[in-house]
Amino acid sequence: MFHKFDLGGVTHELWLAPTVNGYHLHILDGWSGPVAFAEEAAGHGSLTVAGTSKAVAFAVDGDVIHIHMRGRTRSLRYVDPLRALASVDGDDGHNVARAPMPGTVVALKVVPGDAVTAGTVLVVIESMKLETQIRASQDGIVERLHVKDGDSFDRDAILVTLSQGN
Amino acid sequence: MAAISFPFETVLIANRGEIAVRIIGSLRKLGLRAAIVYHEVDAATPAVALADVAFKISGRTPVSAYLDAEQIVTAARTVGAGALHPGYGFLSENAGFARAVTAAGIAFIGPSPEAIELMGDKIRARNFVERNGFPVAPSAIEESDPSTFLARARSVGAPLLVKPSAGGGGKGMRIVRDLDLLEDAVAQARSEGQRYFGDGRLYIERYVEKPRHIEVQVLGDAFGNVVHLFERECSVQRRFQKIIEETPSPTLSAQMRQRICETAAGIARAAGYRNAGTVEFIFGGGEFYFLEMNTRLQVEHPVTEMITGVDLVAEQIAIAANRPLSFRQPDISAQGHAIEARLYAESPERGFSPTSGKVLMLDYPHEQGVRVDSGIAQGQSITTAFDPMLAKVIVHAPTRDAAVAKAIRAVKDVVLLGCETNAAFLARVLADAGFRSGEVHTGYLDENPTIASGIDGDPDEVTGLLAVAALVTRPVRDAADAVPALHAAIGDWRN
Repeated sequence: MFHKFDLGGVTHELWLAPTVNGYHLHILDGWSGPVAFAEEAAGHGSLTVAGTSKAVAFAVDGDVIHIHMRGRTRSLRYVDPLRALASVDGDDGHNVARAPMPGTVVALKVVPGDAVTAGTVLVVIESMKLETQIRASQDGIVERLHVKDGDSFDRDAILVTLSQGN
Repeated sequence: MAAISFPFETVLIANRGEIAVRIIGSLRKLGLRAAIVYHEVDAATPAVALADVAFKISGRTPVSAYLDAEQIVTAARTVGAGALHPGYGFLSENAGFARAVTAAGIAFIGPSPEAIELMGDKIRARNFVERNGFPVAPSAIEESDPSTFLARARSVGAPLLVKPSAGGGGKGMRIVRDLDLLEDAVAQARSEGQRYFGDGRLYIERYVEKPRHIEVQVLGDAFGNVVHLFERECSVQRRFQKIIEETPSPTLSAQMRQRICETAAGIARAAGYRNAGTVEFIFGGGEFYFLEMNTRLQVEHPVTEMITGVDLVAEQIAIAANRPLSFRQPDISAQGHAIEARLYAESPERGFSPTSGKVLMLDYPHEQGVRVDSGIAQGQSITTAFDPMLAKVIVHAPTRDAAVAKAIRAVKDVVLLGCETNAAFLARVLADAGFRSGEVHTGYLDENPTIASGIDGDPDEVTGLLAVAALVTRPVRDAADAVPALHAAIGDWRN
């Protein structure tokens, strides 16, 4: 079974197979070989790829894996096949406005129940000392506000959910 | 300095983050009590945990709380503070605040309100410096005599920078390299100034090609003693934001270094300057000009501390306690080379856009000659409510080459998981051939955008990352472990 990981906007597919001594990693259209990871302390371990070992620090936060290795920190997202399907279902009749970058809420321009058209300003956010307007991408009814005045949020956070009004 | 007694016992820190932690360190050393004000979003930060007493302040936004002079003076009175340290940023260069603190009977750890006012106004500061015989960029101000403006501009000599008097942010500015084109440039700049600022008055100064930013640390006491603590070079910048600072400057000759440092001390002396300050210069084409004076402690002060062994915050506190400087100019010497790299919550690879997140793991380098000034702790959330600077990594080594190598190691050893930072970018800048040769200027990063974008496609790195990710992700491992043993055995045998 192939698993998908997103790294810097690129999706990689891989498959892990057990061997007598550990695991064999198959990267689709990429490297294939024996790998082992020995966790020595919480969040710290040693990765062995094709016989060479490196110290690794890592932290798992939901589906995001943060890794510090070889003097560099990177984050990967595990694309859960079940969750991916569920969100396709969940999107049916719903539309969400996400934060393009981390910031704070300056003003909420709508309340639940408001009918909006594509382009209506939903929320004003501040990031990098600049105000940005978050607009509705399509017509709909404001179903839920996920933030309130002064809240801070991370990149990609859902700010407003719209339902399709008929 | 341990034996010194102070006319106050408690010092209130009107700041947050790494500089608040830094100030607490000196207060401990001096045997003084540390009090701090904090907005509730900072309640779980190290500065609040380390302080002996913390006073909550509020505001429409977290930043506005730290700018609320009235609440802060009330806090200082409530906790019984006899002195107040403003740190940098926020109210540190606000003359009204310094007056309000003093009027409340609290010693302001900084210069006099008059010095803050003098240096806070760019034109006034420039004129003051020029009047006292120190170098400012040769210039022609239209208002002084409009009829001779062009002639005076020509006599300054090319290249020239034409600026609207009312301007800011680079709008309407034009560089003139050929004096035959001066009149056209003036007409265009005038019309742009009119359009942007409703004011067509102009100002012309000598333009410095590939300018370098060099600044000098000064200290003055209440008895007229002023010393300099050598220069810092801060030419690695992005849109006026300093990224890497070092001392000594790799570009100054010994004579030039002495001249620029003595000029800075002379300016501070002329201003009757008391406490710590920094005189900033533009250096280029073998000449330097006064840019401005910062009337506070600078972010990059640790590099100076590393090479001189002087605790600048402790000196600031002693000066505010009306003690004379404990050393004279000849007592101060510089040893080795120090570099500071600023760790920011931002992504240089994505156009320096801000980042945020919860700090899941935090581990700083531990090496002789490496100092980390940090204001964050594991478990804390990084938001965009404040300036994105998280920490400073400072190294000290006998030579510049050794300091650069040590700085690269140190920034690579910063483990901060959960919030993306610019650490990999810092390592790229430090390893860049231009930086290593010392040939940088304030436009260097803009001219070399690949340092920020970090184009790299190391397939071994991707393989390693995917291997760790696969091995620590339960569904991936469970799927592998569910494979029947027989199949697994064959799988292994096939290899």
